[in-house]
Amino acid sequence: MNLKKIFTAGSVTVDLHGGNKQEIIRELMLLMVSSGRVRSSDLEGVIDAIVKRELRMSTGMQDGIAIPHAKSKAVKSLAAVLGIKKNGIDFDSIDGKPSTIFIATLSPEENPIPHVQFLAEISKRLRSANFRTNLINSNSDEELLANLIEGSK
Amino acid sequence: MKKTLFFLLLLIFPPLLLASDGSTSSDMGERMTRLILELALIIIVARGFGYFFTRVLKQPAVLGELCAGMIIGPYALGSLPLPFIGPLFMPHHSSIIPLSAELYGIATLASIILLFLVGLETDVTAFLKYSVAGTFVGIGGLLFSFIFGDLLAIFFGVADSFLDPKALFLGAILTATSVGITARVLSDQKKLDSPEGVTILAGAVIDDVFGIIVLAIVVGISKASGMGEGDIEWKSISMIAIKAFGFWIICTALGLLLARKITKVLKWFKSTDLIASLSLGLALLLAGLSELAGLAMIIGAYIVGLSLSRTDLVNEVHNHLKGIYSILVPIFFCTMGMLVDFQAMKGVILFGLVYTAFAFAGKIFGCGIPALFMGFNLRGAARIGIGMLPRGEVALIIAGIGLSSGIVGPEIFGVAIMMTLMTTIAAPPAMMKVFKGDSGLRKPLTAEETQLEKITITLPNADIAEFVTTRLVTAFRNEEFFVHRADSRLRLFQIRKDDIVMTLTQRGGVITVETKSKYESLARFVMAEEMLDLEGVFEAIEGIVCARKISADLISGALNWKA
Repeated sequence: MNLKKIFTAGSVTVDLHGGNKQEIIRELMLLMVSSGRVRSSDLEGVIDAIVKRELRMSTGMQDGIAIPHAKSKAVKSLAAVLGIKKNGIDFDSIDGKPSTIFIATLSPEENPIPHVQFLAEISKRLRSANFRTNLINSNSDEELLANLIEGSK
Repeated sequence: MKKTLFFLLLLIFPPLLLASDGSTSSDMGERMTRLILELALIIIVARGFGYFFTRVLKQPAVLGELCAGMIIGPYALGSLPLPFIGPLFMPHHSSIIPLSAELYGIATLASIILLFLVGLETDVTAFLKYSVAGTFVGIGGLLFSFIFGDLLAIFFGVADSFLDPKALFLGAILTATSVGITARVLSDQKKLDSPEGVTILAGAVIDDVFGIIVLAIVVGISKASGMGEGDIEWKSISMIAIKAFGFWIICTALGLLLARKITKVLKWFKSTDLIASLSLGLALLLAGLSELAGLAMIIGAYIVGLSLSRTDLVNEVHNHLKGIYSILVPIFFCTMGMLVDFQAMKGVILFGLVYTAFAFAGKIFGCGIPALFMGFNLRGAARIGIGMLPRGEVALIIAGIGLSSGIVGPEIFGVAIMMTLMTTIAAPPAMMKVFKGDSGLRKPLTAEETQLEKITITLPNADIAEFVTTRLVTAFRNEEFFVHRADSRLRLFQIRKDDIVMTLTQRGGVITVETKSKYESLARFVMAEEMLDLEGVFEAIEGIVCARKISADLISGALNWKA
């Protein structure tokens, strides 16, 4: 899996501001727009898709990891962003703990691509406590990106 | 009625008339007619014998096909003149192979396809997993057999020295185990995944791989020494060995490295039919190239098969080639039987018997002794040695190459066939006997680390489970897995992508996915996402007022139409 192709400095942030699930999702999708993954006219559509998926079952997993994702017509290939919320927020996670690491993905609705495998791979790598600490303690977006790519090798 | 049929035949096959004098054979049309009639006879008789051997005698089909060839071949019934066309198969005194070039060409093509599929079926993953025990067992059997065969040739005066091409061929013929027969017996006995079974299969892979290398070197040396005449220097022998080994290593390494790239390009065509044809094309290409490089054609075909065996295309290619395989390969075995010259064998019966005895000894000791050091007791070692006994396809191919290149004579070829027949007939009953009873391990297995993880979903009934299975299969396909329905009666699917292998089974309302623990989370993810999507589907169904209402509308529509 080549993370360099998927993430750029513009698609990661060490400083999510949102104070609740809704705000965090909006912020992540704004990152999709600002990094050029999604057109701004599609913003509300992708937020809606992610929220609908969250309503079925929360993507807040163990150890502070959350992987909000959805299929959408707004993207032609796999799009992903990474955001860190140092203090964590309540994302209805499985273990009830606050979520700190958010990896949001969008995959095309038609012409399915292997996005679940991407999610499975990245969550597997996030099982390493060291890797998670490195991500959370990154001081800049550049450092976060470097830590993400380094730790995924 | 008979007369009309005869005249009709003459109308359709005018060449039959010309052929009756049997003297001129330059006419292409006549040669083709002859070829087609030969093929017709071979296919019908070989398949008939194959059927008889498997169903009535409970023997492998290959033996039936071989015997069919011996009976209808040029040294037996084939030489009897038939009305209008004369003898269908005649010994050609001018060439070593007593068959027409056309027919032998088809047999050669069949041998290439055979080895391509052998390579394709080589489970490299299993081989790597049990490589330690398998490697020693495989190499032990190979070394013992090769040395026994080679030394016997010298002892019986067939060859002059250890490096005499004749001796090398007699050694090489003994090396390759035909694991197909063993695998079938093991699977009938449900012992395929026993430690012995797994070691035999891994050993046979090693055996195949190294057997092909041995063949590459032997063919190289033989070609260089010019039809088995005279000695060649050590220096040039080692050069040839290095060249043969080099070609093998480079092609195999490149093949395994490039397999995924090649697969990607092939997948780009999006047609499994086309993919299968192109892979066969690749196999033929490398087969030709390896012949040009001074090796045997089957080596190239085997390398392409081996390279593709690690990719997820295996099932697709295999399924598409199964048809040609089942038609062409019996032709190959049958023609090999046809090459047996009974007259020539008279003087070598004793040699044949001793050679066969050493074929047994080579594997029983060569594989059994290393097994004793790999945690097996005497019982286990005997099981492994006997399981490695049967020789088959590869031995026949090597013998055929020896005969057609003039290195071994018809008598030695006959000995090779005799050995193949006897080891193959003896192995299954012997295996059934030794595989009864206690564990073959010194320390019986406790917790197996290779255990598969089982993920189970239980649904209200079989109909829903069937629907969910279909959705899951599509979900895996969307994740770019290749899904292959392993059995048309059972709902059993093999799901593969690169190194990932999963099986999905649906029995009644229960769906089970089995995979190695490292892929468990991936399987769970894919299944969970699909189940969530399904939740939406089921909700939508609830949203529809009710199925009965739709049904009532449909029915009333049908009645309205009538009115």
